[in-house]
Amino acid sequence: MSVLAQAARRLPRSCLSDARTFTTSVTRFQAEPLQKPVLNKEFKIYRWNPDEPSSKPTLQSYTIDLNQTGPMILDALIKIKNEIDPTLTFRRSCREGICGSCAMNINGQNTLACLCRIERDTKDTKIYPLPHMYIVKDLVPDLTQFYKQYKSIQPYLQNDNPPEKGEFLQSQEDRRKLDGLYECILCACCSTSCPSYWWNQDEYLGPATLMQAYRWIADSRDSYGAKRKELLQNEMSMYRCHTIFNCARTCPKGLNPAAAIAKIKLELAAD
Amino acid sequence: MSSSLILRSTIPKSLASRSILGVRQAGSVSYKYVPGGPIYKGTANDPTPFPPSSRTHGSYHWAFERLLAAGLVPMTAAAFVTSGSPYPIIDGLLGISLIIHSHIGFDALLVDYVHPRKFPIMGPTLTWTLRATTVAVMVGVYQFNTNDIGLTELIAKVWTA
Repeated sequence: MSVLAQAARRLPRSCLSDARTFTTSVTRFQAEPLQKPVLNKEFKIYRWNPDEPSSKPTLQSYTIDLNQTGPMILDALIKIKNEIDPTLTFRRSCREGICGSCAMNINGQNTLACLCRIERDTKDTKIYPLPHMYIVKDLVPDLTQFYKQYKSIQPYLQNDNPPEKGEFLQSQEDRRKLDGLYECILCACCSTSCPSYWWNQDEYLGPATLMQAYRWIADSRDSYGAKRKELLQNEMSMYRCHTIFNCARTCPKGLNPAAAIAKIKLELAAD
Repeated sequence: MSSSLILRSTIPKSLASRSILGVRQAGSVSYKYVPGGPIYKGTANDPTPFPPSSRTHGSYHWAFERLLAAGLVPMTAAAFVTSGSPYPIIDGLLGISLIIHSHIGFDALLVDYVHPRKFPIMGPTLTWTLRATTVAVMVGVYQFNTNDIGLTELIAKVWTA
């Protein structure tokens, strides 16, 4: 009996019912554990090589067995790079949605590859770089402009009258105003999902940067709020936001940049 | 030489947007917009510059637009109630407000899609076309309201027709 029970424990679930009805033969438990069935899925991935600038970008297909792959799109990409095509290029780092490196457009939605599950069906999955960005190679967009814009809003504490000793103190309510703002990892999913950012990227700051602008306007420890707001008083920097909520919809961290922009607009109007 | 001087001089934004020279500053800018080219201003480590602050183009414009849009709702209702009176002032106000509301809407389209920094000829041309159209419609609605039945009654008639 105990031998049978041990054998049953070693076997995959599909054999358990056989073990319980005592119909399993001795040779059957000595067999190798059953191999997982092959579940092939096709990944169509945007490829462009800067070394061959005359050839147009293409979608390249890779078929991998999902039962030999981790659950997330990033696992599939890493498997493809390790086993099929080492020239496939993408950014990745933390594999847990905190670094924001693996932002890309997966099946039409900007998201982090490490937080996006592979759908376990036989339909193909299309992977593109973040839309409407200059591409460095394959899935790697050039985020220089994005970072330059982030830098322009002076994303650091500015206060000419620091407390005489110790740190800045903040009430719990004031601290709570920063929740939903400070969690942004600057993956650029929201900005690159915004049509206004597509058309006017050189002048419009985009939702990610504007949410960070609000993060510093809302901070009770920062005394430069008025100057920060004055910078946005023009046609292009913020008012190209037409409140279509693509940013809130796509954010892989579940934040709401559109609400932050609406609060800036309200503060500017009440100013 | 002179054209490059114009390009580099800091024309106030409101003036520049009305410029029909076909040369336009993007506001922040002493950098030329190159269609399809890289859009970086300065080096990779420089922050992007801001256009000069202007509340007229910023919060005042936004607040006016929103208040006008919100005001149109009660104004429309009021115009239908009072349009039978011999002095339909609200009718006239509604006509003006609707036209300004549409003008702001179309202007936002032009700023989004045919901004003069990208379309130095097409942009200002369309902006002026829009302004001319707005004025023409304003005159037309004034004529219609003073010499004919007026907007509100026209809609009421069409509605019940």
